[in-house]
Amino acid sequence: MHIPDNYLSPATCAAIAAAMIPVWTIAGRRVMKDVPKAGVPLLGIGAAFSFLVMMLNVPLPGGTSGHAVGGALLAVALGPWAACISLSIALLLQALMFGDGGILAFGVNAFNMAFVIPFLGYFVYRIIADRSASERGRIVGIVAGSYLSFNAAALCVAIELGIQPLLARGPSGLPAYFPYPLSISIPAMMVPHLAVAGVVDALFAGAVFAFLRRVSPGALYEGSGTRLRGTYVVLVLLACLSPLGLLASGEAWGEWGVETLRKLVGYVPSGMQPGFGFSSLFPAYVVKGLPGVLGTVASAAAGAAVLVIAFKLLGLLWRGRRRKARA
Amino acid sequence: MIPAWLRTIEAYPERSDRSTFIERSILTFLGLLSRFRLPGTGKWVRINPPIALASTVLLILLLSLSRGALFISYTGALLLVILSLHRGEVILRVLKTSVPIAVFTLLVMLPSAVWGTSASLTTIPFKVFFSAAALRLLVENEPWGSILGGLRFFLLPRLFILVLDLTTRYLVLLGEHSLHMLYALKLRSVGRNSRKTASLAGIVGTLFLKSRRMAEETYAAMECRCFSGRYPAGRADRWSAADLAALAVDALTVFVFLTAGAA
Repeated sequence: MHIPDNYLSPATCAAIAAAMIPVWTIAGRRVMKDVPKAGVPLLGIGAAFSFLVMMLNVPLPGGTSGHAVGGALLAVALGPWAACISLSIALLLQALMFGDGGILAFGVNAFNMAFVIPFLGYFVYRIIADRSASERGRIVGIVAGSYLSFNAAALCVAIELGIQPLLARGPSGLPAYFPYPLSISIPAMMVPHLAVAGVVDALFAGAVFAFLRRVSPGALYEGSGTRLRGTYVVLVLLACLSPLGLLASGEAWGEWGVETLRKLVGYVPSGMQPGFGFSSLFPAYVVKGLPGVLGTVASAAAGAAVLVIAFKLLGLLWRGRRRKARA
Repeated sequence: MIPAWLRTIEAYPERSDRSTFIERSILTFLGLLSRFRLPGTGKWVRINPPIALASTVLLILLLSLSRGALFISYTGALLLVILSLHRGEVILRVLKTSVPIAVFTLLVMLPSAVWGTSASLTTIPFKVFFSAAALRLLVENEPWGSILGGLRFFLLPRLFILVLDLTTRYLVLLGEHSLHMLYALKLRSVGRNSRKTASLAGIVGTLFLKSRRMAEETYAAMECRCFSGRYPAGRADRWSAADLAALAVDALTVFVFLTAGAA
């Protein structure tokens, strides 16, 4: 679910990141008010916790294993605001350390996984848990909340990717970023998430929640009661619709109306014409458009660098073998 | 006299059991902890962290904005030259992070060739590869603390940086704690054990309780040390020749983008 850089246009990244700034600001304030005893350290340690949960392998049917996000679980455990900040920081670290998710796309990834998942998950959990006093009701709440919020986030990812062909085009008129329209991106994202990943995440959340309720029920976030509900519905609905808002604003400029949509269907043959795309990284050793000297220097430097890198990697392999032979 | 029960040969037929997820988790956690224990191993030249961070983000942004082969080619050449100046181990780590993402992207983009949008097949995997490599190079060259300090220049609130700092420190502490629990689970899971998944819930649950207690203890410790709710920023380093070189490369990158970025 982590979107890397260059899948989305920088405009999409900027718009969604801008939408996240007030969320983070309010979340910071709310956490200070909600959890005065643990305060700031809880955010940091909660982020470390959510990072580790995302790294833990969960057994999957067929003997393989996968990762859970545990976003709804975190929201129920720490409260949705604290979970929002913790998950955002965990995502930033993942982008920096493992290249999971891009740095420009960080705001978008935070929107999907640190906003939609914890808030929708917590909202569904509260609706179900508040209406059933039993322990089973709470567990059903967290499982349902986890499953629905996880798939809602997957839908957001599918929409954000699927609107790219409409939003940004290259000089040749072809999509400059993610090339598939909504009709492809939605089923491609939703089928595996609805069938497998969402189920795993929900079962994982249910199991951990049941354990926590049994061992230390007091450690879970109690929430500030009923006044959250109305605003939550609006907030979450807006959240799920906001990627579509990007598309709507594009329409308002009048740049991509029916005409562009017609072109969208018709670009298949034009893309097959020769001249688009490039066959090698450095066509004819000269990067056209740049001053000729610079192009030649760049080509030569890259060639030499590739050789140096190859020799260094070979040296590493050779040293490793020698060490093994000595041992 | 050896008792009869000691003379019988014990047959222990090993039955297949699903425990790969424990081993994989142990390996993932070990990998994570090793990254924090070996900070800044790839240090090549000392560039001021804010400049290094800003240059990386600038490169990734321009790469994302560029609409054609020319600027991507320039970025590729630049990154290859920088990469070739590093030690073999660092090169390997950079490639290990960036190549899988690029290959995955290539697979995702493969059907688009049939779709008629072959441009995305050739440009996007390269863009993804170079962005991931640039980010990884930054992490290899700057210790964690410096990258976090460098974030100050992006006008991030100090609270956010403090939280990030706490996160990286507690990742190591909590990571070691969960590693010990995974070892314990593995040692106690000899033979067939169908309750491993329940134990997994126990590990995560215990980890949560532990992190909760750690947070409260840290806050108490901060208060005992007269924490007043303000987070003073550290001092910036003095400028060096490497900083000027980095700025010169940035200027060249912007120039190349302006002349060839759209083509």
